[in-house]
Amino acid sequence: MKRFLSLALVMVLALSAALPALAADPVKLKVWGSQDDQEMLKEMVAAYNEANKDNPVEVEFGVVGEPDARQRYLEDPEAAADIFAFPNDQILDLVKAGALLEITHNREAIEAANVPGSVEAATVGEFLYAYPMTADNGYFLFYDKSVINDEQVQTLDGMLAAADAAGKKVLMDVSDGWYIASFFLGAGGTLGIQDGVQTCDFNNERGVQVGEAIKAFTAHNAFMTGDNAIITGGMGDTIAAAVTGAWNAIAIQEKLGENYAATKLPTFTLGDEQVQMGSFGGYKLMGVNALTQYPEAAMALGEWLTNEANQLKRFEVRQLGPSNIKVGESDAVKANVALSALAAQSQYATSQKEVLGNYWLHAEAFGATMEAKDYSKDIKTLLDEMVAGITAP
Amino acid sequence: MVQQTITRTGAPKRGFFRELAHIYRHGDGATKLSFLLMGVGCIRRGQILKGLMYLACQVLFIWYIIEFAWQYLSKLNTLGTTGMQRVWSEERQLFVRTPGDNSLLILLFSVMSLLLLAAFIGLWRASLRSCYKAQVLSQQGKKLPTFAEDLRTLGNERFHMTLLTMPSLMVIAFTVLPTVFMVLLAFTNFDANHQPPGNMFTWVGLENFRNLFGAKPMMGNTFAKVLGWTFIWAVIATFSNYILGMLVAIFINNRGIKLKGMWRTIFVITIAVPQFVSLMLMSQILHEQGPLNSLLMQLGFVEQPVKFLTDITSARITVLVVNLWVGIPYTMLITSGILMNIPKDLYESASIDGASPMRMFFSITLPYMLFVTTPYLITAFVGNINNFNVIFLLTRGGPLVTEYYQAGKTDLLVTWLYRLTVDRQDYSLASTIGIFVFLISAGLSLIVFNLSGSSRREEEFQ
Repeated sequence: MKRFLSLALVMVLALSAALPALAADPVKLKVWGSQDDQEMLKEMVAAYNEANKDNPVEVEFGVVGEPDARQRYLEDPEAAADIFAFPNDQILDLVKAGALLEITHNREAIEAANVPGSVEAATVGEFLYAYPMTADNGYFLFYDKSVINDEQVQTLDGMLAAADAAGKKVLMDVSDGWYIASFFLGAGGTLGIQDGVQTCDFNNERGVQVGEAIKAFTAHNAFMTGDNAIITGGMGDTIAAAVTGAWNAIAIQEKLGENYAATKLPTFTLGDEQVQMGSFGGYKLMGVNALTQYPEAAMALGEWLTNEANQLKRFEVRQLGPSNIKVGESDAVKANVALSALAAQSQYATSQKEVLGNYWLHAEAFGATMEAKDYSKDIKTLLDEMVAGITAP
Repeated sequence: MVQQTITRTGAPKRGFFRELAHIYRHGDGATKLSFLLMGVGCIRRGQILKGLMYLACQVLFIWYIIEFAWQYLSKLNTLGTTGMQRVWSEERQLFVRTPGDNSLLILLFSVMSLLLLAAFIGLWRASLRSCYKAQVLSQQGKKLPTFAEDLRTLGNERFHMTLLTMPSLMVIAFTVLPTVFMVLLAFTNFDANHQPPGNMFTWVGLENFRNLFGAKPMMGNTFAKVLGWTFIWAVIATFSNYILGMLVAIFINNRGIKLKGMWRTIFVITIAVPQFVSLMLMSQILHEQGPLNSLLMQLGFVEQPVKFLTDITSARITVLVVNLWVGIPYTMLITSGILMNIPKDLYESASIDGASPMRMFFSITLPYMLFVTTPYLITAFVGNINNFNVIFLLTRGGPLVTEYYQAGKTDLLVTWLYRLTVDRQDYSLASTIGIFVFLISAGLSLIVFNLSGSSRREEEFQ
């Protein structure tokens, strides 16, 4: 009797040790996406499980918009999602905090399939840290065809004159470091990182000329500033042209109807030459949490969510410009007015990888001073103060 | 005769070490052993359950330290030395990360453990007191209270202790612990470049304070100017609300006004609308392309939109004016009640003597009101130093200027602190500013309250 009992006990112990290994551990992943993307993400994950019947994943979705990804991650890294999307200007902060897992599975295939700008935006040092997802986060020019013709839209002065004659405005949010950089970058200004500190030469001789050009622009009668709500509310009525991005494309198209047009940014007058306005290239990337418990599954799912088929789906459902080369060459994408304007502007776009956090608020301060027409200090002093703030360690 | 606070045991109640020394000197073997093993003295005298409970607490605490707290306490002086390790795994073809020292958790759990240590020392002293008391009682031949009797005193004579336990724990956990933690952050370099778990931060002593006071010129300049504006704002906001609220109360209180109730109700309705909602609406109305500007342009009063919130001087004036709109109902209510209490014969005798209404206001009403509402004015002033809502919801602290470090011209210290924390994750600098805000608020409150306390001894205030 005793021997039987001890034998039964040993067998139960052995089974309980073996059973977890027998039953497949369901892989549980958390995925963050914006509110608008939730439906689409659910469909994509279902398709993934269909294609991988032997390695299914159980996904829990969270609603976290891309701009909030960095903040929400740093609040509690261990509770953050395994896969989340973020805009490329957050990649330096996330890599510094050790948040992103290096993409090492199928790296060459991913780099070959996506536009070089997006791959460069996702690479820090020698490692690829995220999957490129969209390539439409840059900005360009929308305009009203009935007010500004094709010739006038080539130069900033032409646009301002045409808009003023019709009693309308040209809108650009100069008090935003993202937009105001287009003047400086187009004229050849550089932002760099040296020893972990930002370097900025926006206050050299040419930079002062650029500052004067911005001052003249904001002092013009037809200049107007505003945010997304003002653009989508006033386009066509009071606004003849606006510098913004593809996220407003649908709303602007509705307002302008037949007069809807978009193109690259114009040239502006610098001294006695015309200089093309530059821009910041913007991409949305999908990253894998470095602290994830299932790195292989997370990388596989991340790759799936940003592959060619799903980038096409993303374009069809949400009008988001793809970073995948093949999808970008399809007719549907080429026919999209906003995206082809963006493609035209991307030749003059600079990467945001060399921009550290200090840049934004100080550039915004300079732009705000210009918008408020506060000329108590001269341009050189303002630019010196701006650069001093940007380059502060 | 000098009252000495002595317990029935004869041990002095004042003086932590004096009491313990007394117990050690007069204690017998069992009591002396209780210094090392809590509760032994009680067990020796027959209070077995009580003694065992003390012993259990000691064992639990030591186990807590060894198992949980020591790994954090031992690293408190460096806040972590080995960071997160990244190891290449050949068979999995990826990098595996092993978490290293997490400076945030080290600091947090160390502070928590130190507070628990303080609580444990209190418990240790309580156990020694009860052991000594048991010894004295048994030496005097008196009966020792049983465990049941001890429990009953918790419900009767010592009910205050039972009642206060829960609130004290809550206060310590949710107020004291976070405050100590935040204050300690000011002495570290926890900012955007030192975010756990990927990076560690460490102690830097008074470097943040030195930076604020001029080691970094831009930061020092910003701090001084923002502090200046905070004071100006607090003074003007408090007194404008006070004086104008009082005037409104006086007007309504005037004998000639009918329907006093209706007028007061109209003002009180603005209190019913949440401040948050009305301020956000205001910021939209005053926007450069907002309804107010459109109306003014359509009516032909102005040609260009008025920059209410984007021009420096206008923004400052606008926030002060909007703050009036938010604050006058409160001050009106407070002053109404006091006004009605001023004896009417003072006014009658003044008017017989030929005083004008202005003269009566400055000689009778104002001194009386100031005397009664001084504590309120102090609280309002200190509150306005930290008035986050009005500034943040109207201008977000803007307009930003190039000469400031991440601050704008209507920024108070608190709104600057908020931007540093949320936008820049510069927690250590924000914590330093927070300490200053506390010092200023607390210092001002104490000074002004003491000064007014001395004026309270006046019997006559005419």
